[in-house]
Amino acid sequence: MIWVGDVLVSQGEGGVYNERMLGGARVWDPFRSKLAALYYLGKGIELTPEMCVLYLGAANGTTVSHVADYAEIVYAIEFAPRPMQDLLEVAHRRPNIVPIMADATRPEQYAPLVEAADLLYQDVAQPDQATIAIRNSAFLKHGGNLILMLKTRSVDVRKEPAAVFRDTLEALAAAGFTVAESVWLEPYHHDHAAIICRKP
Amino acid sequence: MPAYWFGDVDDGSCTPFSGDAREIAGRIRVIRTSMDAFVPLKWEQAVSCGICRDRAEYIAKLREACFVAAERDIREQYAGKDTELLHMVRTLDEMDTVINLLSERAMEWYQIRQPTFSRKYRRTPSHLMVRKIREKSRGALGSVAGQIEALSAARVDLAREVSSRANRVLPNSSALIGGLVAARLMAQAGGLAPLSRLPASAIQVLGAKTALFAHIRTHTPSPKHGIIFQHRRVHNAPRNIRGRVSRVLAGKLAIAARLDQYRGVAVPEFIEQAQAKIDAAGKDGSTEIRDGGEL
Repeated sequence: MIWVGDVLVSQGEGGVYNERMLGGARVWDPFRSKLAALYYLGKGIELTPEMCVLYLGAANGTTVSHVADYAEIVYAIEFAPRPMQDLLEVAHRRPNIVPIMADATRPEQYAPLVEAADLLYQDVAQPDQATIAIRNSAFLKHGGNLILMLKTRSVDVRKEPAAVFRDTLEALAAAGFTVAESVWLEPYHHDHAAIICRKP
Repeated sequence: MPAYWFGDVDDGSCTPFSGDAREIAGRIRVIRTSMDAFVPLKWEQAVSCGICRDRAEYIAKLREACFVAAERDIREQYAGKDTELLHMVRTLDEMDTVINLLSERAMEWYQIRQPTFSRKYRRTPSHLMVRKIREKSRGALGSVAGQIEALSAARVDLAREVSSRANRVLPNSSALIGGLVAARLMAQAGGLAPLSRLPASAIQVLGAKTALFAHIRTHTPSPKHGIIFQHRRVHNAPRNIRGRVSRVLAGKLAIAARLDQYRGVAVPEFIEQAQAKIDAAGKDGSTEIRDGGEL
């Protein structure tokens, strides 16, 4: 990852969402992006120029644009039409983003389009986040990594975030993932945890 | 035999799919893939398939098709009749909030200018107060009051439009509870399709989120009604049978929403029967409100 002093940046064309520029690079704000928060907490998977990333829950393409600055190619999956409009606009300017309008809970919809990925990044507001990750791990290379941004409030608002976190870890381990790291994204994002797993 | 966007691959041999981006977008939609024993595609397969010469060309072609597919899907989603109604309802609710806030503020301001003025013992409706403020105040306060009036006029127009559009988009629900309330229910559910999938019990308390979660968390009494309270048959009913009326009404609304979603036209015999059932539920002391189950 590229740091200018203690500020995380990515190298690419700016102006995507009026982000601040620093020495010609785009500042990647940990309060806006959960992935940036993860790097600020000293965890996460190093993004490399030959990396193929499958990104579930691409939303408006804010974080996607930073990931695309680092990686070789990003397959960005988004379901809702309104954010998809924005994602298309971002993808028009970045030739290494493949925007796909599909439902991450139904990987068969985009299976004919996506290559095997080095990194599976998931940030979806759905109740069954572990199941989604497990189903999409079909696209992950052996030895590839999963970064799951767990929105505990989307799973079940009545449950304690810590309990949701524990259940998700168990489900991932039971599905054959090796949990490498897990961390709460405080103080950047509340009730959000990041889980990093390896597919053996 | 795995089918990918660029062609069908079978034991190393590949049948390319020849077509432009639009045709590929069509193909993406119809390919059926099983995720059991699924093998992700390799871009080199597309080269040997004769679709492209190198990786750059592969990505460019794939992207072109994905853009076409996504733009098509967005257009189709927006073409749903309920999408615009959804925004109309939300705009209406936000206008209400803004008009109320501004009116309250203008009133407070006006009282400062007129130390002898009080609203106590007056039954002046808010809109007449705003008119008075406009007529009597100079400068910014007068023009703010004028803007509130203009906004209120726009709100009336919008409410009329919401109502008439709801009559078209939600003919059965609107017949039961009126276009405006039907549209609000639909907006709260997030669209006609989500509304049609809700159980009657959820429709009954739609819009009573705070009370519902207080009930789940701290076991306060459960809410009897949400948005449907706005309908006269619920709020005019005697307090002791309001719960019954809203339950029966919600039950019929759940059916109405499904008719709206899947038939899209008014079904007079359903509406007639449903109205009778709901009216019967509203009769104090009536015990015979069993549902026959037809429709």
